[in-house]
Amino acid sequence: MTDILTLVFRTLSSQTGQNKDPSAGPPSPAPRSSALVVGEHRLSRSVLLLAAVTAASELGVRVAFFAQTQIQSLPECLQRCSATQNPEGLKKITFSYPRTLEELLQQVASLHESPCPPSLIIIDRLDGFLRGAVAGSHLGFHSGDESRAAHLAALLCDTAAFLTEVLEKRGSSSAPCRSIASFLSDADSSGQESRDTSATDPILDVLDRYFQARCTLDQDRSYEAAAAAAQEAWHVYLSGTKIPDDREEDPALAQEWKLLVFPEGLMEFKLV
Amino acid sequence: MRTFLPAVAEQLFRDIQKIYEETTQIPDDLLIALKFVFGTCALQALDLVDQRSVTCLSSPSGRKAFQVIGGSGRLYTCFLSCHYCPCPAFTYTVLRRNQGLLCKHILAVYLCQAMAVTQQESVSDQQMSAVLSGTEGP
Repeated sequence: MTDILTLVFRTLSSQTGQNKDPSAGPPSPAPRSSALVVGEHRLSRSVLLLAAVTAASELGVRVAFFAQTQIQSLPECLQRCSATQNPEGLKKITFSYPRTLEELLQQVASLHESPCPPSLIIIDRLDGFLRGAVAGSHLGFHSGDESRAAHLAALLCDTAAFLTEVLEKRGSSSAPCRSIASFLSDADSSGQESRDTSATDPILDVLDRYFQARCTLDQDRSYEAAAAAAQEAWHVYLSGTKIPDDREEDPALAQEWKLLVFPEGLMEFKLV
Repeated sequence: MRTFLPAVAEQLFRDIQKIYEETTQIPDDLLIALKFVFGTCALQALDLVDQRSVTCLSSPSGRKAFQVIGGSGRLYTCFLSCHYCPCPAFTYTVLRRNQGLLCKHILAVYLCQAMAVTQQESVSDQQMSAVLSGTEGP
């Protein structure tokens, strides 16, 4: 999954001399097949959609995209880029809108029944599904939520592992099956001023057990956006846990990108 | 089960598999090592193994999952590739307190696999989906 995210960032980068070839530059750590995007909903959904369209159009893989709320339109930057001008590629994305956690679990659990399984599974707003599982959940997460979060994350992990085996047995170039999900913790949703940086979100701690990489979106509230004539500036941190594929000499997965969002909706990534 | 167990735990299961194949017994030194690595759930897991409580479900698509009959008679579904169990001990000790690697049900799965005493059962693809999502009937 981190390879797809890096491809997304490189595709939308305008840095001089930077190309889309992932083999260019210093050696990279082994890609992680699962990633959790943590940050503000609107931007994380855009990142997920960018990943879906990039995977479907440029890598030709089937994508299963799950969200609670309907996607009305693609982000502005996608509408203008060449990836979306390939309708055949976009047909590889299946959008599903389960309303509850139970429906989501059923739909992910039944992916193995499909004769043409996806190679990328995307779930937008895990927090919405998990919070909605408990009555009166507008107050935040409750006890029992750790188990539900673990069940969903483990099911996603196990499903991706199984579909990887299926794809490899078929000799498909779409293997491995990757997964990516977005999550916004209660602390982050309540605003930066009230955030206790020493506290950890127990649900996020649970999810971290099952995802190999984390993509953190952190808004830059300095003058950088204004200096670049952009509407918003964000820091995008890509970090990951050690996996068996890592060789001893491989660098740790730690990348930082700068994202500028312009008034017309265009996005530009820059490797820091 | 492909998981990120500590190397010492993986070696322990390999040793148990090898010795059990030869002698159909687990010697005391490996039992002590099991208790040292996994704590109190080691003996509880061995009880579950003795009762042949672990079943591997498989469906026509090739999907698999493990079901373990707990001490109370309740059925717990565990996955192949990562650690998850719906039991309270997993939620409290592993997820919330981070004080254990796994619960007795998941450990029983590892032991049954190492000792080749897992029961086998076939289910339909739809039944498998219900089991995995936790929506199967009683």
